[in-house]
Amino acid sequence: MEILNEIIEILPQVLEGFKVTIEIFILTLVLSLPLGVVVALIRLSKIKLLKEISKIYIIIFRGTPLLLQILFIFFGLPLFNITFDRFPAAILAMVLNYAAYFGEIFRAGILSIDKGQYEGAEVLGLSKRDTFFRIILPQALKRIFPPVSNEVVTLVKDTSLVYVVGLDELLKIAKIASNRISSIMPFVVVGIVYLIFNGIISKILEYCEEKFNYYN
Amino acid sequence: MKKIKNIVLGITLGVLAFSLVSCGNNKSKEANTLEKDKLVLGFDDTFVPMGFKDENGEYVGFDIELAKAVGEKLGKEITFQPIDWSMKETELNNGNIDFIWNGYSVTEERKEKVAFSDVYLDNRQVIITLADADINSKKDLANKVVGAQNQSSAVDAIEKEPEVLSTFKDGSIVTFDTNNDAFMDLEAGRLDAIVADEILAKYYIKQRGEEKYKVLAEDFGKESYAIGMRKKDEALVDAINKAIDELIEEGKAAEISIKWFGEDIVVK
Repeated sequence: MEILNEIIEILPQVLEGFKVTIEIFILTLVLSLPLGVVVALIRLSKIKLLKEISKIYIIIFRGTPLLLQILFIFFGLPLFNITFDRFPAAILAMVLNYAAYFGEIFRAGILSIDKGQYEGAEVLGLSKRDTFFRIILPQALKRIFPPVSNEVVTLVKDTSLVYVVGLDELLKIAKIASNRISSIMPFVVVGIVYLIFNGIISKILEYCEEKFNYYN
Repeated sequence: MKKIKNIVLGITLGVLAFSLVSCGNNKSKEANTLEKDKLVLGFDDTFVPMGFKDENGEYVGFDIELAKAVGEKLGKEITFQPIDWSMKETELNNGNIDFIWNGYSVTEERKEKVAFSDVYLDNRQVIITLADADINSKKDLANKVVGAQNQSSAVDAIEKEPEVLSTFKDGSIVTFDTNNDAFMDLEAGRLDAIVADEILAKYYIKQRGEEKYKVLAEDFGKESYAIGMRKKDEALVDAINKAIDELIEEGKAAEISIKWFGEDIVVK
């Protein structure tokens, strides 16, 4: 019974923490997906300078820990007189990091489309822009659905890193409650919350994947 | 499909705008912190019983109440900003917060980075083991696994006695994010002893069952809690010292101490 009381007692804070987690998750996802398309396009562009810039960007953001990137944007950039608030700093770091990964996934998707598709579009007299947005991208999106889903689920868990700028997200809330009542129960509770949330996300992604599969 | 393109474009512009708007307000440029109406107190909100979130999501604790009383004296609003404890001095010097006020121990190393107020609490670094452990002195810690909170003054205190530290297993301290983690590890049997602030340790021992632990008579030295501020904020340091002195005289400080520790342990 005592355990039940403990759980009931921490639920309101868990909800508060979940709100922060979900805000970070949604904002990061909504901003990094389109940015990923841009990164992929720049990476595939014929202009050498742009290509190199995007390569360096991807090396930096895939090659260093996300935690370090958050630290650098919040604590390091003020040395160069660029100061962000806690929340925007966390979002910016997460978006830049995830856009690098999404960019590479999108690039793989775009490259996997058969040359014949471009030739067919050209024969039909489609402009380059239309070819990309109407023919190539929709097909690429279908193919990259599984790796993107992977990243989305990872993103839910990576939101826990923003504790470092002092944001009280779900895992931090559990840590606080655990310290206060000196029990590991809060960790179990938030573990279940993460699981349920990711379960729902996985179901939605599965549904979308099926919907995308209209040709098969 | 034009829609997709527009969405992509719109959101990309959104990201850019968002980054630009969030830029620019460099708070550390404020000339005199004491002139601000709102002062920001930085604290680790996992740090019971000094400052933490209670079951209603409110910030409570000895330091929080003392700070609120000081705020009233100064006629300032004090806002409470949770921070990651390992980044506290960076937060202060970047101007994100105006004080580090959360069981912040005075050490020589920290004196170089921040300006301290007068000491308001005395503390010791005690050694805690399980009740049935055959450890009774620092000497018995030889070849034992010893834990402490990462970046805490407990670590500094142990490092001040390298001859003891070198006898620990692997010659090092196992560090944890929070003291609670260290206590859990002690109970799991992977740690043989913990070094922690006495005030904190008492709270955890009370929470987890007093019969399970013992606190050794020997310790890793005395130390004191004070409030950390930026070196240039001398006027703020003076104002805070004066306000705390007044609170001690009026008996308000003793009242808060009794509420949180069961006794008046405020340094007079």
